[in-house]
Amino acid sequence: MPGQQQSTMQEQKAITVSEITKKFGNITAVDSVSFEVERGEFFGFLGPNGAGKTTLIRMLTTLLRPTSGHAVVSCCDVVKDPTEVRKHIGVVPQAMTSDLDLTAYENMDIYGRFYGIHAKERKERIEYLLDMVGLTARANDLVATYSGGMRRRLEIARVLVHRPELLFLDEPTIGLDPQSRRVVWSFLEKLIGGDSMTIFLTTHYMEEAEALCKRVAIIDTGKIIALGSPAELKSQIPGNDVITLAVEHPSEEIAAAIETLPFVHKVKSEEGSVRVSVDSGAKNLPSLIDEVRSAGGKVLSATVHEQSLEDVFIYYTGKSIREEEAKKVSFFVGAGIPQKFGR
Amino acid sequence: MIRLLAVVERDLKKFRRNPVVLGMSILMPIIYLLILGNSFQGKLTSLPVAVVSHDTGPFAKRVVENLKAIAAGPQTFRLVILQDVNKAVEGVRNGRYKAALIIPEDFDTRVTLNGRPEIGLFLDNTDGISAETIRNLVSAAIGPIHDEYVPIREKTNEVLLRDVNLYPKVDYYQSLVPGVVIMAIFLGTLTTGAFNLVMDRFMGIDESYLLTPLSKSHIVAGLIISGLSITTVIATLIFTVSILITGIPFSRGVHQCFSLFVIIVLTTLCLLSLMFLILGRVGHPRIVGILSGFLNVILFFPSGAVYPVASFPGWLRSFAKINPEAYAVEALKSVLFKNAGLATISGDIAFLALFTAVMMTLSIITFKRTL
Repeated sequence: MPGQQQSTMQEQKAITVSEITKKFGNITAVDSVSFEVERGEFFGFLGPNGAGKTTLIRMLTTLLRPTSGHAVVSCCDVVKDPTEVRKHIGVVPQAMTSDLDLTAYENMDIYGRFYGIHAKERKERIEYLLDMVGLTARANDLVATYSGGMRRRLEIARVLVHRPELLFLDEPTIGLDPQSRRVVWSFLEKLIGGDSMTIFLTTHYMEEAEALCKRVAIIDTGKIIALGSPAELKSQIPGNDVITLAVEHPSEEIAAAIETLPFVHKVKSEEGSVRVSVDSGAKNLPSLIDEVRSAGGKVLSATVHEQSLEDVFIYYTGKSIREEEAKKVSFFVGAGIPQKFGR
Repeated sequence: MIRLLAVVERDLKKFRRNPVVLGMSILMPIIYLLILGNSFQGKLTSLPVAVVSHDTGPFAKRVVENLKAIAAGPQTFRLVILQDVNKAVEGVRNGRYKAALIIPEDFDTRVTLNGRPEIGLFLDNTDGISAETIRNLVSAAIGPIHDEYVPIREKTNEVLLRDVNLYPKVDYYQSLVPGVVIMAIFLGTLTTGAFNLVMDRFMGIDESYLLTPLSKSHIVAGLIISGLSITTVIATLIFTVSILITGIPFSRGVHQCFSLFVIIVLTTLCLLSLMFLILGRVGHPRIVGILSGFLNVILFFPSGAVYPVASFPGWLRSFAKINPEAYAVEALKSVLFKNAGLATISGDIAFLALFTAVMMTLSIITFKRTL
């Protein structure tokens, strides 16, 4: 009986990943990662590019074989039964994959036929989805004439044609301007409200993870470093606000002096500025400025904001996602797989 | 200068990091030299010639001896001694022999009685180069009979070589038509089918269908069928235009058209499957570009479309035995110039079908369904 109970529990999970690892030669892209995603959950993977998000999503969506470990997606093992997994999932890969030489309608129609959906149902579904993403007026235009944001909306609509139980989105707003990004977000929010679909999203935008995901796993160098709801993750780190001070000549002495204040939890010196985790930021800002002055520093400007997932990332890794991004040369080419290995 | 050198260096680095292109750039000229050099103007060897001698006299024997000497020396012929004239001529018609030489039973009597001796030579003139070579060598072989044994008293004493062209004359341009069609099929199969997969991979849009429940067979067969429809239309159009320009007569109408259509479809399938096996894992169109030259050289020139297979050296002739284009050219020539039916070309058809089945199966097995 306990065994049966356990299997029923497993059936209820949309994704069960246990100690999954992927190596490309000497590079370990994903390092013994384990987690579970509930059915109907909006789950996010947050981390800088190169952290292993795309490799992980490619293993879960049957495009890459894991080096070791297991993953069960929609009750089927991704290695043993990939075809069955593919029937239940919809994937929006990081790179745009719609056919430029076809119209939006043709793209969706052919995609629907890949899943064996009959003509009448296909037509209704495509019309409904194109309307939902606001592309009905451009349905018969070649995708080559679309903007990046329109193409991304089309690709999200396309993977919904076969009503997948599980939707994977790999960096769905990468390369989009802020306005297009907001359009995609509002569209994804509609999806959460509507179907009881499970959504698995990877992103390196913390605001995206924070705004959309019920639970977030933070990943860095192939490993999960924190997992929980955005609120839980933020509550794990001390302080509730972050004050960023632009200081004229920041020094070790200034940082040391600030650290002695009772409401200060953590100080991190960055180029020309000091980032301080504090309790009640707005209330304690004047005392903080006074302390900088008395240590011989000059505050040029100050901002106060609530702790974000970015701060959680900094707390666990000692570096910010933005700093990591700056180190990357390009995140469009070969995402998820080093060029010399796969393609 | 710095800018210029930067452009040069960028290009050189990209070239160096593409080992397939680098390797092919070195191999290609060597292969061109080997194959093209051996496919044109080479000495014809081992042309199969059937010999039927109904005369056992010394002069008849002497003719056969002379032919045997050519077969043993320059090896232009490969003699097959037969008893039945009909069998020999039928063998030429169905492509087994390039010619049939018939020595009638009164040959010796006519030589000794100065009665105008005759030797019959049935030629497969659809292969003009081979036919001409055989005609000249047989004339040379019977020459000594005249010089040594027949005193030249009057013109009528010469041994007369009565050569018979089995088929209507095929002019040079007409003889190129099968090659033109095969070339059209080759180019069609290179730019459709597997090439679209390479382009999808290059553009990064292959993920869109790899993520769906499509099986390997769906993807491979689907692309091959689409390539088949495009290439068949192109090849048929080029064929029709070539026939109109060169004026090849069509005497068997629908039946002949059907046979030709079967050959075009099978050859297209054959090459599409071969391309899929070769290009199935390629991810850059540049590799397709360089492979296209290589494939064209190794498939087209040893096919017999331009110069007879009999002129190739042994190794190239062995290759022609597994070269689908050689079978396609042979079948097209038979149907176009010999009015052959499907039964006559059944061997070629069977090879093309078998080759297609093997290549398509291997393509499906080796096609990678993951990234």
